[in-house]
Amino acid sequence: MKCLATAMTISLATAGAGLADDITVGFAIAKSGWLEAYDTPATTAARIRIDEINAAGGLLGRHISWIEADTKSDQAQSASAGLQLIDEGADMLVVNCDYDFGAPAALAAEGAGLNSFFLCAEDIKAGIQGVGPNSFSASVLAAVQGATMAEWSLGERGAKTGYVLLDTTIEYNKGICTGFDWMFPNAGGDIVGRDTFKNGDASIASQITRIKALETEPDVIMLCSYIPGAASAVRQIRAAGINSLILNGSAVDGSYWLDATPNLSGFVVPVQGSIYGDDPRSDVEAFNMAYEKATGSRPASQYAYPGYILIDLWAKAVERAGSLDGAAVTAELEKMRDEPTAFGPRSFSDAIHHQNSAEMQIIEIKDGTPGVAGNWRISTPVPLEVLLN
Amino acid sequence: MNAVPQLFFDAASLGGIYAMAALGIALIFGVMNLVNFAHGEYIAFCVFALIVPSSDAVAVMFLGKAPAILLIPVLLAFGALIAVASEYVVFRQLRNANPVAMMISSFALGFVIQNALLAVYGSRPKAISLWPDLNTPVSVVGASVPLLQLIVIITTLLVVSVLALLLKKTRVGLEMRAAAENFTMARLLGVRANVVITGAFALSGAMAAAVAMIMVTQTGVADVRMGGQIMLVAFIATVIGGLGSLPGAVAAGFLIGAVSVVLQAALPLEARPFRDAFLYTLVIVSLLLRPQGLFASASAKPRV
Repeated sequence: MKCLATAMTISLATAGAGLADDITVGFAIAKSGWLEAYDTPATTAARIRIDEINAAGGLLGRHISWIEADTKSDQAQSASAGLQLIDEGADMLVVNCDYDFGAPAALAAEGAGLNSFFLCAEDIKAGIQGVGPNSFSASVLAAVQGATMAEWSLGERGAKTGYVLLDTTIEYNKGICTGFDWMFPNAGGDIVGRDTFKNGDASIASQITRIKALETEPDVIMLCSYIPGAASAVRQIRAAGINSLILNGSAVDGSYWLDATPNLSGFVVPVQGSIYGDDPRSDVEAFNMAYEKATGSRPASQYAYPGYILIDLWAKAVERAGSLDGAAVTAELEKMRDEPTAFGPRSFSDAIHHQNSAEMQIIEIKDGTPGVAGNWRISTPVPLEVLLN
Repeated sequence: MNAVPQLFFDAASLGGIYAMAALGIALIFGVMNLVNFAHGEYIAFCVFALIVPSSDAVAVMFLGKAPAILLIPVLLAFGALIAVASEYVVFRQLRNANPVAMMISSFALGFVIQNALLAVYGSRPKAISLWPDLNTPVSVVGASVPLLQLIVIITTLLVVSVLALLLKKTRVGLEMRAAAENFTMARLLGVRANVVITGAFALSGAMAAAVAMIMVTQTGVADVRMGGQIMLVAFIATVIGGLGSLPGAVAAGFLIGAVSVVLQAALPLEARPFRDAFLYTLVIVSLLLRPQGLFASASAKPRV
């Protein structure tokens, strides 16, 4: 059995690695378990960009091939998946969508002097602060999403009062609320109350009772949560007759959960691009169609996009550095200021390997139908001390 | 708004869900000394039975499309079926194994069910709109209560009463109580072990289905991991209620729900994220003061 497994690993590795002259991208991603739903779309998008680059003549004149190892949504498997890919000759690693799960593989890449990219981690730790100098994330920081919601609701909807409802289950949620808490009062809003809950709570009746006990209903409720807890909270908040505009982070993008609250209105999320076919930038819709061609269905949420962006940016940096050396590519990536991508400009610096400000599309759900309601870029980037809070 | 009745209804509805889940666990513990850790997965299984098996992001209703009058009995039967099937396939083979071995195999069974659901439905949580009208709030003694909360409270009381009658008045109920008291002696006196155990599993599975319907109506989502948290609370409820005591499990389920809601309402904001830590500290205190459980049965057995 063991022999068979080894033989299969070798044959798969050789099949994936292709010609010796190829550039090899290693994917240490979850192909099973709960994280798979987040990793697979972004990985598919990354491969679409790889195919495009190959079709246009490759990178440094070489063909890009890819290999992968399954982390099985298990932190312990992540480190060994990373090491396995490095042994098989990966020139850079793409790791899980989540910091906690992707970090062990990213650390393995760091140890070997390679670049690593988190597929869609939105915590400042997924980069210099939590892995090392050659690690990056392709997504937009959670705090930027919260700050975008704060400034947009004040500027575009004339909101004055806000209520913060934080799901304490994962760090991502705290990141969104941190950004909101920083921006909302700074931009002239008043936070009138706050409460916490857990994603798996069977009922948030007492949290709702606290909101209803306020003298006047808040203009906005900043809900920092993810599916399934967020869908369940929205259903319970609306059922209780609370009509405040509900804001959330990108994590709840997608229309797949809307059946939980039929005819939902007044629910807003910031995203990197619209999956609904109404993005003002034609490149986004072109990508959506390429994705549909590759998989048979359109992206279910915006979390496919960072995979495309990361290969795009990394390839540009490799081209400019003229080498695959981790430190040389990092230096080129850190020079990027508002580097154009299909999903808006991206910047890195020697302090932050993440987006601490980004143009985001605002998706509003009206009568159960999501659509672009505008776009917003926060007036001040979220400072590092707020991100490290 | 009237704070005290509101708190009472919030507490009673959460407690009702916990009580019903705890009852499902206590029933099986009573007859065969098994803490069935797969119970949470029975709940998830029943939730997913409502939708068409597919890994697509958008869920399409399957059983969920049926009218309530059909859906409720069918789903209860579904829950009973999976529980009875798991007894037949797994636990019957381990009838003479020690309780630890049975407990471990219940964990294994839970993993099998969870991974089967993952394989069939994919890992992305799904939205299900079951009876959304039940979430409409109604006004009761100055409190604003979703209709569903009232239904949960009434259903729990009803289920507990029916179960009490079943145990007191019917032959199989008598046999179950006898088996819970002393299984070996009951068998020597002619109690049919298979009938009693199958009956207990069927009732327990139906309980899981009832919890599943309540959770779906309340939250509107289906997630393969959704049974885990409730299973944990329900297990703790059966322990502090006194293992083997059915009324104890129900009372402790209500108690945990009530304490959780009171903590959420009363703790200062900084301490609120640690609500569960406070809750479980109280559980430890309760166990230190009454290790046999708050409502231990006369035949309380030593715990694992």
